[in-house]
Amino acid sequence: MNIEKNEVLRYLGYKDQVLDEGMERLIQECLAEIQTILKKNYVYQIFDIERQEDSIRFKGTDLAFQSRDLSRHLGKSDKCALMAATLGLEVDKRLAYYSRLNLTKGIVLDACATTAIEALCDEVEEEVRQEAEKAGYCLTSRYSPGYGDLSIYYQKDIITVLQAYSRLGLSLTEDYIMLPRKSVTAFIGWQREEVQADKCGSVDKCSGCDKKNCLYRKWGKRNG
Amino acid sequence: MDRKIKFDDFLIFDGAMGTMLQAYGMKAGELSERYNIDRPELIEKIHRSYLAVGADVITTNTFGANRFKLLDTGLSVEEVVTKGVEIARKAAGNRLVALDLGPLGQLMEPYGNLSFEAAYDAFKEQVRAGSSAGADLILIETMADVYEARAAILAAKENSDLPVICTMTFQADGRTLTGTDPMTMVNIVQNLGVDALGINCSLGPKEIIPLVQEILKYSKLPVIVQPNAGLPKVKGKETVFEIGPEEFGSYGRELAQMGVRILGGCCGTTPEHIRALKEALQGLRPVKIEPFRITAASSATKTVIFDGKPRIIGERLNPTGKKRLKEALKSRDFDYILREAVDQKDHGADLLDVNVGLPEIDEKAVMVRTIKEVQGIVNLPLQLDSVKPEVIEAGVRICNGRPIVNSVNGEAKVLETILPIVKKYGCLVVALTLDEKGIPETAEERLRIAERIINKAAEYGISKEDIIVDCLVLTASAQQKEVRETVKAVRLVKEKLGVKTLLGVSNVSYGLPARGILNRTFLAMTLAEGLDSAILNPLDEDMMATVKAFNVLWNYDQGSKEFIAAYSELKKQETVPHTSATGRDLKKIIIDGLREEAAAGVRELLKNHTGLEIVDNYLVPALDVVGERYERGEIFLPQLIQSAETVKRAFEVIKEDMLKNASADQTMEKGKIVLATVKGDVHDIGKNIVKILLENYGYKVYDLGKDVAIERIVETVQQEKVPLVGLSALMTTTVVNMEETINALRKSCPGCKVMVGGAVLNEEYARMIGADFYCEDAKEAVKTAERVFLK
Repeated sequence: MNIEKNEVLRYLGYKDQVLDEGMERLIQECLAEIQTILKKNYVYQIFDIERQEDSIRFKGTDLAFQSRDLSRHLGKSDKCALMAATLGLEVDKRLAYYSRLNLTKGIVLDACATTAIEALCDEVEEEVRQEAEKAGYCLTSRYSPGYGDLSIYYQKDIITVLQAYSRLGLSLTEDYIMLPRKSVTAFIGWQREEVQADKCGSVDKCSGCDKKNCLYRKWGKRNG
Repeated sequence: MDRKIKFDDFLIFDGAMGTMLQAYGMKAGELSERYNIDRPELIEKIHRSYLAVGADVITTNTFGANRFKLLDTGLSVEEVVTKGVEIARKAAGNRLVALDLGPLGQLMEPYGNLSFEAAYDAFKEQVRAGSSAGADLILIETMADVYEARAAILAAKENSDLPVICTMTFQADGRTLTGTDPMTMVNIVQNLGVDALGINCSLGPKEIIPLVQEILKYSKLPVIVQPNAGLPKVKGKETVFEIGPEEFGSYGRELAQMGVRILGGCCGTTPEHIRALKEALQGLRPVKIEPFRITAASSATKTVIFDGKPRIIGERLNPTGKKRLKEALKSRDFDYILREAVDQKDHGADLLDVNVGLPEIDEKAVMVRTIKEVQGIVNLPLQLDSVKPEVIEAGVRICNGRPIVNSVNGEAKVLETILPIVKKYGCLVVALTLDEKGIPETAEERLRIAERIINKAAEYGISKEDIIVDCLVLTASAQQKEVRETVKAVRLVKEKLGVKTLLGVSNVSYGLPARGILNRTFLAMTLAEGLDSAILNPLDEDMMATVKAFNVLWNYDQGSKEFIAAYSELKKQETVPHTSATGRDLKKIIIDGLREEAAAGVRELLKNHTGLEIVDNYLVPALDVVGERYERGEIFLPQLIQSAETVKRAFEVIKEDMLKNASADQTMEKGKIVLATVKGDVHDIGKNIVKILLENYGYKVYDLGKDVAIERIVETVQQEKVPLVGLSALMTTTVVNMEETINALRKSCPGCKVMVGGAVLNEEYARMIGADFYCEDAKEAVKTAERVFLK
């Protein structure tokens, strides 16, 4: 998997500081280490969808998502891919280890893992895209619970319908936190019409998220 | 009617329930257990279709009928389970009904926040309902976490008299999702009192075969296999399984010929698959296989077999004679304890002995916490060491894997209390060759005690491969002539009793100079007599070198690979620049974040300065420089933390020095702060960053970890009289718990201030939930602490 060092640095709030030899080595070490521990565990399924005013219903299932923003995001879609991806538990184990015994490495590896799960999602999206294109569809960007007014509580439905626990080991705590930590669920709309080129740069990626004071966002803001 | 499970012939289980329900129109995302209530006739029909093709056992439709999955569904565990069993019972006639227990769907500690006790309670509820409704056996299946399987088995055994079968599911890499391999699974599960064990779901029948082979190799119990109908493939909207009944049947035959005794189907299998399976077994008789009988301890992911090559049991987690560890246990400084655990692993320990016996602490509670902390970080099997039976039991109950109990001896009273614990929790046990009369002088007498213990253990159903005999080492300074007896006893015990042996060797040199020479010589002598494991300090290079040399000379380290790896590069590496560290050097070491050099820098300074002087004149100024550089954006977060970790190392050396010189100088502490990631939240990197910076600035931090119960926070604040609490939450869903924690603190600890931080918070939100201070980052937390304490 291609994990961009620049992305890792962005997550670490890097802004052209001098990287001494030790730090450079540590980053390389973490980039290599994450590759050896990550799993590319993912699952997706395509559903026909039905849009009502402020909600989306998945045909042939019990699923319905009440959200104006999601409804807008899928405004031109008649199908939707629902995906779940996780890097697996070994990454959590390793992060727990370093966060107690070598915090510096823990922080850098955490950023590598964040970059990696995004990269995995990109790969899944690419696979979905190929499938969509064969059927004559274009894809919207990924949209996840917690963005806009799409409640995080929908994680439970998504994980259930995709059987993400038995297939990927992806579970949800009572407080709706996904575990393993580096996991993502997302909607990708299928629409006939070409999607407007994504104008958002990396900083804007954060704008839909409700973690208003997230370390990564904050730095993005400062840098931007 | 005799409905007892028998294993003298093949036993055929049914196939999938979910697959059948989908075929009858169940939609994706629907709760299949609801059908027990809404459509009992359909469930009964499916059971009957499996009975019609010859299934001996049908499985209740209760896979997910636990309190977590039924939350918010309006259904209760009791009604769903009772109904499920009743439907199956009605269909089964005189055939068997297995109460189905699937995984809870929650990740367990330490990576998730489902505790062992909570998992146990959830299973217990199902077991109680299912056994009183008339199930004939309990099938714990599709477990992905051996710790959860362990909780389920204990719940089944403690709350019913039914036979128990346990299966786990494996991935393509040959491990379960949480990392357990088949041998480790067998080593843990078969000793917990189950009646059969095996594998289900996982992959297709073909891919499962090598895993089954591994299980058959070690299992003393009948083995069950319930494969899927091939690997699941998602095709557009549907999941399909590609193996048809014929092919499934022929794989079943192959598995039976390998030695599998119980067969059935998992995802994608239908009555046709079970019919074909039944037919394919025509004319076959179960194959009797003799498993390897091994002496092996396990963590969840690693098994250590005592197979001749000496195993090293790290002895450092034992406070006897260790001031710093005592202090760490008393103040619950688990960072220090973990560092000790990891150091031992890194230096070659195969297992770790854990002893937290101190008169002034709650040994049981500390033992439990230590096990959990260590198992969260280190994957070595543990040896739990205490003289108190209640501490041993509390420890082995929550310990993941298969631990060793240290220890029993020939005293009748000890045997009667400890052996039942060893049996129930499926542990190994160390048998000390002493009794009421003390340690016998001669090897022969020690042999007799060992024999007595082994016989007694057999009465409890503990086999001799689960016993490791400690022939006990006497000191050469006091009982010189008996030292040889220990060496002889090792040989005798192995020869006459055929059991594994263990010694704590360093006792031999007590009271003499140059102890290292005596220790390593004695170790070499006993290894040559066949000693299987030694409890020692893995950081002692002499001892480890002796073991490595022995492994070459005894042909355990074949091709001398390990030896060459350890020593060929030796002298080249040992050239870390050892500059004469002057004051400026320590500051520079910190500013540059050169962690490994901090200790040497401080030791040099300690020759002419007190610890406090070093803190005031070197550490604090260096920290200030680093802090300013960070705020100006000259360094970024990892560099800041690197310096902070360097300061932490420096502090550690200063602290050790103070303990050694008994100056017990507590003035190093500026104040006490409790830190916790709130209940429900599992993100703790941010909290750890805050912690290290606060420690750097001289605060005593009680780090309660992540997912911390409100009561624990309140309790610690009260007990330790803490004036400031820092709480972290990273999710909107857990900020609620933060608010509740603050309310509880307001009520029970009115003087205590609260600072909060975390990605979803801001100034306004913090005020709304009643916090005194909002901290945007770790530096801000330090400033807040200064404000609170320097007022």
